[in-house]
This record gives sequence, C-alpha cells and structure tokens, in this order.
Amino acid sequence: MLEHMKRDWLSNIRGDVLAGIVVALALIPEAIAFSIIAGVDPKVGLYSSFCIAVIIAFVGGRPGMISAATGAMALLMVTLVKDHGLEYLLAATLLTGVLQICAGYLKLGSLMRFVSRSVVTGFVNALAILIFMAQLPELTDVTWHVYAMTAAGLGIIYLFPYIPAIGKMIPSPLLCIVALTIVAMFLDLNIRTVGDMGELPDTLPIFLWPDVPLNLETLLIILPYSAGLAVVGLLESMMTATIVDELTDTTSDGNKECKGQGIANIGAGLFGGMAGCAMIGQSIINVKSGGRGRLSTFVAGLVLIIMVVFLDDWVSQIPMAALVAVMIMVSIGTFSWSSITDLRTHPVSSSIVMVSTVIVVVATHNLAFGVLIGVLLATLFFSNKIGRLMMVKPHFNKTDNVRTYEVIGQVFFASAEQFTKAFDFKEAVETVIIDLTHAHFWDITAVSSLDKVVIKFRREGATVTIVGMNEATATVVDKFGVHNDPEEVEKLLGGH
Amino acid sequence: MTKIITCVDGSAISSAVTEAAVWISKKLDKPLLFLHTLEKEQQHGADDYSGAIGLGARTALLEEMTKLDEQRSKVALQLGIKLLEYVVNQAKTSGVKDVESLQRHGDLIDSIDDIEGQTRLIVIGRSGKGHDGNFSVLGSHIETLLRKASHPVMVIPSTFKTPVSFMIAYDGRETADKALQRVIDGGLLHGLHCHLVSVKNNESYQKDKFAAAQQKLEDKGFNVTASFIEGNIHESLIEYKEAHDIGLIVMGAFGHSKLRQFFLGSNTLKMLESSKVPMVVLK
Repeated sequence: MLEHMKRDWLSNIRGDVLAGIVVALALIPEAIAFSIIAGVDPKVGLYSSFCIAVIIAFVGGRPGMISAATGAMALLMVTLVKDHGLEYLLAATLLTGVLQICAGYLKLGSLMRFVSRSVVTGFVNALAILIFMAQLPELTDVTWHVYAMTAAGLGIIYLFPYIPAIGKMIPSPLLCIVALTIVAMFLDLNIRTVGDMGELPDTLPIFLWPDVPLNLETLLIILPYSAGLAVVGLLESMMTATIVDELTDTTSDGNKECKGQGIANIGAGLFGGMAGCAMIGQSIINVKSGGRGRLSTFVAGLVLIIMVVFLDDWVSQIPMAALVAVMIMVSIGTFSWSSITDLRTHPVSSSIVMVSTVIVVVATHNLAFGVLIGVLLATLFFSNKIGRLMMVKPHFNKTDNVRTYEVIGQVFFASAEQFTKAFDFKEAVETVIIDLTHAHFWDITAVSSLDKVVIKFRREGATVTIVGMNEATATVVDKFGVHNDPEEVEKLLGGH
Repeated sequence: MTKIITCVDGSAISSAVTEAAVWISKKLDKPLLFLHTLEKEQQHGADDYSGAIGLGARTALLEEMTKLDEQRSKVALQLGIKLLEYVVNQAKTSGVKDVESLQRHGDLIDSIDDIEGQTRLIVIGRSGKGHDGNFSVLGSHIETLLRKASHPVMVIPSTFKTPVSFMIAYDGRETADKALQRVIDGGLLHGLHCHLVSVKNNESYQKDKFAAAQQKLEDKGFNVTASFIEGNIHESLIEYKEAHDIGLIVMGAFGHSKLRQFFLGSNTLKMLESSKVPMVVLK
C-alpha cells in the first residue's frame, strides 16, 4: 500500500510538478469560460476546479488524469441556474457526487464496454465542437480588436513552441495570456476582460452547506440534473481514462475512478463549486508535459487556486480574447482529427454511429443523449450484422419423402424473420426434420418462431422432428456463465 | 516438479545469486529457473512544456511515446536475453543439469506470483540495479516479496560462500516453531551445523520450549549448538553471528501485521538490513 502511494505520488516529482503548472494554465480558461456559460460567477468554476483536482488526486483511479470544472458538465446546468439559482446548483452537485459513488459501488464502470470506439470518437469530437461553440458568444458583436487579439493569441500558442531552446520550456498558453493582457492594458483597449464577467475568488474556498430546503420538492428539481451530470461526468472520465491508459501504457481502476469523481464532486459542492469531471484536452496536455502521477493533478489544482486568489487583480485584467484563444486550442487538441480521414476507410455503419453521436450532442448540448443514440445505433448495426450469420440448408430424401432443414448460425430477434422465411411450407412432404445441432437460439423470439414453423408444418400435415434442440437452446438462458470457463464456451461454440 | 526460482537483473549481485542458486539446486536436487523481469520504467515526459495541443495531438503523442517505449524495451529485451543465456551457461558449467530461463514483462512480484505453482524456493539478491555498492540499502522489492511470497525466500548479499553452519533465532512463538519445522522438513540445511539461538527475556515457559526445540533438531540428525544470549534482539543476534562465523541465517517471516510493524519495526527486516550473509526467510 505504502509502496503504491510512493509510486503514484513521488516517482516522478519533477515531471509532475512542471506538468501540473502547465495544466493549471489550461484549467483557468475553461473554469472561467464555462462558469459564464452556466450562468454563475467565475469563482464558482475556479473553486470547483481547485477542489476537484485536489480531491481526485487522492481518490481517483487514474493517476495522471486531470479533472476539474468542465464544459460538458456546465452545459447541463444552464437551465437549473437560470430557473432556481446557484444554491440549487450546489445541491445538485452534491447529489451528482452521491450518484457517482453509487455507480462506483455498483461497478457501473464496466458498462463502458458497451460504448464502442465510434461512439467514443463521436463523443470526443462533439465535446471539441461544444468547447469551440462556447467561445462564439465572445466573438460575436465585438470590435475588430477582439478578433485581432484572438488571432494573435493562437499565433503565439502554436508558433512559440517552434522557437528553439526556449520554445518548449515556457508554456505557450501562459505567454499568450501574459502578452495579450499587457497589450490590452497598455493600449487601454475597451474590450471585455475576465473582471467584467463576474466575481473572482479573493479568498480560499470556505465550507458551506447549500442553502436549499431539504424536501422532496428540492430533490425532484435537482434529481434530473444530477442524474444527467453524473452520467456525463462518468462517461467523460471513463473515456479520458482510456485515453490516458493508452498514452501511458498503464491501467486504471474504473470503479475507483467513479467513486473518486463522486467524492470530488461532493467536495466541490460543499466548497461552493459546480460539478466537474475529467478533461480530455487537459489530460493530454498533462501527459505531453511529462505528468504521470497523482502529484501532477494535485499541483494543477493548487497552482490554479494560488494564481487566482493571490493574483486576482491581474487575473481580472486578462482579456477574454486570450482565454478564447486558449480554449480554441483545447478544442482543436481534443478533436480527433484522424476520425475525419478515417471516414473514407471505416465501414459506413461505424461512420454513421460516430456522426450521429456528434449531431445529437451538438443539437441537444447533452453528451449523454449523444452517447445513448450512438450506443443504440451501434447495437442495432451489430445485431443486424450478426443476424446475417444464419443459414438454413434444405436437403431432400426422395425415397422416404423426407425434407431436412439444417439450421446453421445465430437465431435471435434480428434473424428470426429470415429464419421463418427459409422454410418452404408449400412443399408437400410427409416428414420434416429440423436439425438445430449447429444453430444457436439466443432469445424467446427465436424459440417462438421455431414454434410457429412447427405449427405451420403440422397444419400442412407433415410430421415434424427437431434434432439438437438442447444444444441450440443452451444459449437462451440469460446466465450461461461461460465467461470464465473456456470449456463451457467451447461447448456452446461447438460446430462454429 | 517445483523449481528454484532465481531472480537476476544484471546487476553485480547476479553472479552471487547464481552461485547460491546452484548450491541450492544441487542440494535439493531441484531444477533451476532463472527469472528476469522487464520492469516498466516510468516514462519521462517529452520535455515539452509548451502546453500547446494542435490537430491530431493525441495520435502524435501516442506515436511519439510508443516509439520511446519501443526503443527502450527492445534494448532491455536483448540485454535480458543475453543475461539469461549467460547465467544459464554458468549454472550448467557448475554442474546443474536442469536449467531453464524465463523472461517476463511487468513487476517482479507479479511475475513471481504468476509462477507460484511451480516454486520451491525463491533466490534473490538483497538489492538490485541502482543500488550497486550501497550496502545498507535493501532492494525495493524485498519487503513486498517476503510479505507476498508463499514459499521460502533466500536473500543473497553481494558475495556468496557455501555455508557450513547456520543460525536460527528461536523466540518460542508460533512462527518460530513453524520455521523450525520447515528447517527439519526441508533438505537445504541438512548437514550444516545448527546454532539455535534465543534472546533472553522474562517469559519463563520459554526455557522448556527452547530445550524441546533443541531436542527436536538433534533427533533429526542436526548437530546443534544451543545458546541463550542477552540484549537487543537484532544487535545481539548479529554479534553472535559474527562471533561464530555463521554462514547463513534462518528467520521466520514477519511476526506481526504491516500496521504494527510500521510502528514497531520488524526484527526480520532489521536482520535483513544488517546481515552480510545469506538469509533464508521461511513462510
């Protein structure tokens, strides 16, 4: 245990601390930008980012992953804040945490296996688009100065790293923010700054219980929001975890991460912050900057709060254009560029899944709906494909006037109709043998269509014999506990 | 057949470990299995603190990190193969007929755990790579290994000399009785002169138990010198060892839970840290 702690925390101190500082710079714009979108003061998002990052560093299941206040979550809170106010948001955040902890104990993290690669790609792309779209209000109805500032900011972010020697030592988003702030202050430009967007934190967060009546009415108000937040938060966290797993070639504990997200959200709610989750873009920045351990997440949260609390006079001078530039970078970095080129090579069905996920998310601003549609479509496409793995071979024995149908493959709701159609009821035969030895009946639909076939043949006056019924229907039972027993699986798959 | 699992990592201690393993293998008439694990080192970052991520950043980063890992792993894999070839040869020329080698990716403890079923005894150097020459440091794996392993573990210092006598500390506790039984049941220590040592304390029943233990060993044909010594447990044991030129120490596994040990300190662990002769820790 102690050894684990040492490895998770202290094995990479230099890398983690430096990466944490770099990441903090990418957390601030997101926290501020999405607080504004959620309709609350920037301090709510900043407190939240601090609490979540620091808590998840201890209790998360994926060292090196960054969690804080995120856009995906903020977008779900808009109407709650508008209709009921901040206190209800804090209460909803607490409930979100409780739901996520339950999900962790119920081991719902393993449900992620039903989320296919295409859905994950769609989710990631949709998220990138949402982050980008969230910047648009800052770019509409403004003077040309803002466009110039944003363009200059992006220029600094992407070109500065190419400067030899110092290019890779100083975080370019930091340089972008500092440079644009200095320019705005010197030229005395009349453009929006962070200070115009609402209250910034001037103290460390303090413990406060949300000021809401504790009754059923409150619960009914916040529950739908909390459920949505819990689902989206876990989805994004799980997906980010798989991305970090892949990048670092290590494994993570999904259910621990679920519980950790829950605890972190409860912490955020109690200290005046809004619900958050893991962040794909910032986690990539963390890994890229050398962050691997829990320390990196911790430092990111700590640096963030130090910067905004002690430098709040300066932070309030930052022009929004600088933050917009950083967020556009995060959006671009989050987007899976290869998914566009893959559209040509991937099967149409998986492209449809990916694009549908994106469209539904962008239309509803709710990542959960997108994933739901994506998973549904992927499942439909899959069952359609598997349904085609079925064949009925007729043989005829003229001397005895016996017709044998040999059924091979998977019979279930998607292939049941095809199965029924394969029999020739018009043929006048005395005996019909249906050989199911090499077939698998997966559900009740399959069994009842076999019944139908038998009844139809009987009505035509044929005697029906069924061969291999037991083998074929072994798979109907829901719990054919085969996962761990290779022998059982072999029995089931016999003949395939 | 169960085997002598011998952990080698290419550090200076590996040759002492090999010699010890050869001795054990011959004595117990069990095959040798040299185990080399390729432990994943913590990846370093790309030294890129620009914090900028552009189009295709994830794919590019994955590609870059895979390349780094690939290069490092390839070298480590080759080195490991060479090392195993070398030690297998060394063992064969020393007269062990049945020698195998196994190379695994991942943590050493996990790898040992994976082959638990075919283990008779585990031989490991007291500290591995990165500690060469620094005597007082115990290898990072030793403690965890001793806790997790379900078979005896022999911890080897930087040089190995075939022992002619061994010392077993006896405190009358259940773990000590178990250890004694294991010495009698196993074949490794038969024929070696046995020093049965007890550090004095006030518990009166101990004396009878001590005599019984001595009797038990003598019945099995051990040549026993039994001694009562006084003082701090581990210091006096080490003193005794020095005075009688003892070649090998036998200890029972840790007496108490990890939590208690965290505060109290474990004698076994202390002995491990200061012992300059091989130590067998019985489970």
